Amino acid sequence: MFETNLDSVAQQSAFRHIHPGTKLVLALGSLIICLVSPSPLVPLISGIVLSLVLIIAGRVTPRLYGELLLGPALFTMMSVIILLFMLGGGEVLLRFNPVPWINLTITTEAVKESTLVLFRVFGCSVSLFFIALTTPLTDLFNGMKRFGIPIEIIDLMMIVYRYIFIIHDQAVEIWHAQVMRLGYSRPVEAIRSFAMLCGMLFISSWVAGEDLIRSMDCRCYDGVFPSLDISEPVRMRSLIPVLLYLSGLFGILLALTTRVVVFS
Amino acid sequence: MNVILEARDIRYRYPGSPEAIKGISFHIRRGEKIALVGPNGAGKSTLLQMFNGMIRPDSGTLLFDNEPIRYDTPSLRQLRKRVGYVLQNSDRQIIAPTVYQDVAFGPANLRYDDEAIRTAVTLALRHVGLEGFDRRPPHHLSGGEKKRVAIAGVLAMDPDVLVFDEPTSGLDPSGSEDLMELLDELNHEGKTVIISTHDVELAYRWADRAILLLDGRILHEDVPDIAFGNSEHVRKAHLSIPTLLDLSQELGRRGLLQPDRKPRSVLDMVDIIENLLDRSCDNPRSGTISVYNIDEGCNIPLDTLVPNLKDMVVGAMGTRAKQRANEEDLALEFTYGVIDKCILRALRGQDSLILTIGSMVERIAIRVEAYCEESGNAINLVFINTALPVLKGGVNDGEAGQKDDQY
Repeated sequence: MFETNLDSVAQQSAFRHIHPGTKLVLALGSLIICLVSPSPLVPLISGIVLSLVLIIAGRVTPRLYGELLLGPALFTMMSVIILLFMLGGGEVLLRFNPVPWINLTITTEAVKESTLVLFRVFGCSVSLFFIALTTPLTDLFNGMKRFGIPIEIIDLMMIVYRYIFIIHDQAVEIWHAQVMRLGYSRPVEAIRSFAMLCGMLFISSWVAGEDLIRSMDCRCYDGVFPSLDISEPVRMRSLIPVLLYLSGLFGILLALTTRVVVFS
Repeated sequence: MNVILEARDIRYRYPGSPEAIKGISFHIRRGEKIALVGPNGAGKSTLLQMFNGMIRPDSGTLLFDNEPIRYDTPSLRQLRKRVGYVLQNSDRQIIAPTVYQDVAFGPANLRYDDEAIRTAVTLALRHVGLEGFDRRPPHHLSGGEKKRVAIAGVLAMDPDVLVFDEPTSGLDPSGSEDLMELLDELNHEGKTVIISTHDVELAYRWADRAILLLDGRILHEDVPDIAFGNSEHVRKAHLSIPTLLDLSQELGRRGLLQPDRKPRSVLDMVDIIENLLDRSCDNPRSGTISVYNIDEGCNIPLDTLVPNLKDMVVGAMGTRAKQRANEEDLALEFTYGVIDKCILRALRGQDSLILTIGSMVERIAIRVEAYCEESGNAINLVFINTALPVLKGGVNDGEAGQKDDQY
C-alpha cells in the first residue's frame, strides 16, 4: 500500500504543476551540494529548508513525512553508531571496555565524521523525497525521453509502472483471502501461505500479461506507445526561486570551505 | 437497415476442450442494439472475441460489412479500427500509466499525427464525461471511471461497431444505469452496439434484439419481449423472466391484459394499468417537459433562464449534462430513464426540466411524440434554447429559440 500512498501524495502535491525539470534541478542541485559539502551545516540547512517547503507549501502531512524519514533515520543511526567506534583520529572522548579483551573508543574526529555522514544522509534523503513527493513517475517518463533514454526501455517502464498497481492489488486480495481463512497463523503455515501467494501471483501475472497483449492487439498495436504530450511550461516564477536557493546554498558551502582552508 | 456483421455456421474449439461454439448463424444490422444473453460458459465471450478477429473460427464464415473477415495483419488492423472491443475487466484493458496515454494508444498505433491524436483523445474523453482526467493514473480512478476510460480508448478510434463484454459487471446500480445511458447515446449517434450480459432486466429494457445462447448454440433470437417471453427457453438458459414481462404475463393470464401488450418500461406498465382502470383522463392538466440543451453555448444560470425552476423536477441526460447540473448546484431527481420518468411526472401534472447534451435532443422529441401517439395523452414539450429537431412525423417548425409544442 505504501507505494500507492507515495504516488498519491505526488499526484496531490501543491507542486504537481511545476515543470518536472525545475523540480529536478532543485533536488539534484541540493543533492550534489550536500554530497560535496565538507561541513555538516550545509546538508542540515538544505534538509531543513526542503522539509519546511514540502510540509508548509507542498501540503505533505508532517506525520507521513516523519514516517518516511524514519526509514533512512533508523538505518543511518545504526551506521553512525558503528562509525563512531570504527573511525579514529583526534583526542579520545570516551573509552570503555565492555569485555576485557575489547577496547572501544570514541574520538573527536570520529564524532566529526559521523555527524557529517548523519547530516549528509539527512540532506540527500530529503532531496530525493522532494522528487518522490512532488513529481509523479508519469511526469518523469517524458523527461527520460528527452534525456535520450531508449524508447523501448521507457515503454517497458511505463507498462511495469502500470502493472505494479494491478499486481499489488491482486497480492492484497490473495493475502486477504488467506488471512480470512487463518493463513499465516503459525510459522509453518505462514511459509506455506506465502509460497501459495507467490505461486498464485505468478499465475495471475501471466494471465494479466496475456490480457495485456490481447488488449494492445484490440487497439491495433503497431509498436507505438504514446507519450503524455501535456507538460507544464518552465515558468520563471518557480525557476528563479530555485536558482536563488541553490546559489544561496552554494554560497554557504563556499564560505564554509574557504573558512576551513583559512583556518587550516 | 443493412447488415454489418454476419455469422454463417461458425464453430470453434479451445485447444484440448470441447467445442465452445457449435454452429452459430445470425446477422446484426447497422445501428442495432444487440444483447447476447446466456449462462456462464454459453460461449458469449468467445463469440464476441470473434467479432474483431481476436479468435478465428475453426469453420464457418464471419462477414463484416458483407465481406468475409480476413486474418492477415493489415486486414485485422482495419477490422479492429472499425470494431471496438471493451473487455469485462477494465483494469486489464487500460495499459498506459495515464488516462491520456491510454486513450491515445489506438490513434497513435493507427499512425495519426500528434494534432489528430490530441483531437481524438479530447473528443473521446469529452464523450464519456472525463474531461480534465488526462494526467490521472488509472489506479486513482473508480470502477465506473475506469470503464469509461476503457470505452474512451475504443471511441478514440471511431469504430462503427462497439462490442462490450459484460459492461455493467462490477458497477453499482447507478453506475450501470449511467453506462447504459452512454451506450444508448452512442447508439443514437449511429454506432452498432453489442453487449453480452446475464442481466435480463437490463437486456429486456435496452436491447432491440436479444440472442439467447446456451451451450455454444443460439437458443432463441428475437425482440426482447418474445425472446424473454418464452418461459421454457428462459428456464433452459438458466435465466429468469424480466419482472415487467412476468407481471404483464400474470395480468394476461387473469384476463386483465391483452396478451399482445408487453410493457418495456415502467411507463408502459403504468399506462397499461391506467387504461385498465380507465383513469387516463382523470388528470385535469398534464405537466410540461422543458428541454435545455447544454451544448448550445448558453452560460446564463438556469434559474434565470427558467423562472419556475424551483417547482420543477430536474433530470439530466449525458455525463456532461450531469456535470453542468452539479456546477449549478441543481439537485437531480433523475439520472437515468430520464424521459420516461419525466413523462410519468407530466402525466401527474408536474413540470420537469431535462438537461441534455445536443445529441440527445432528438431522442427526447421522438420518445415523447411516440408515447403521445401510442397512448393518446397530450404532453407539453418546450425546447428552451434549441431548435425543435426534425422528426419523421413532421411535427416541428425548425427554428431556434423557445419552442412550445403539444404532442
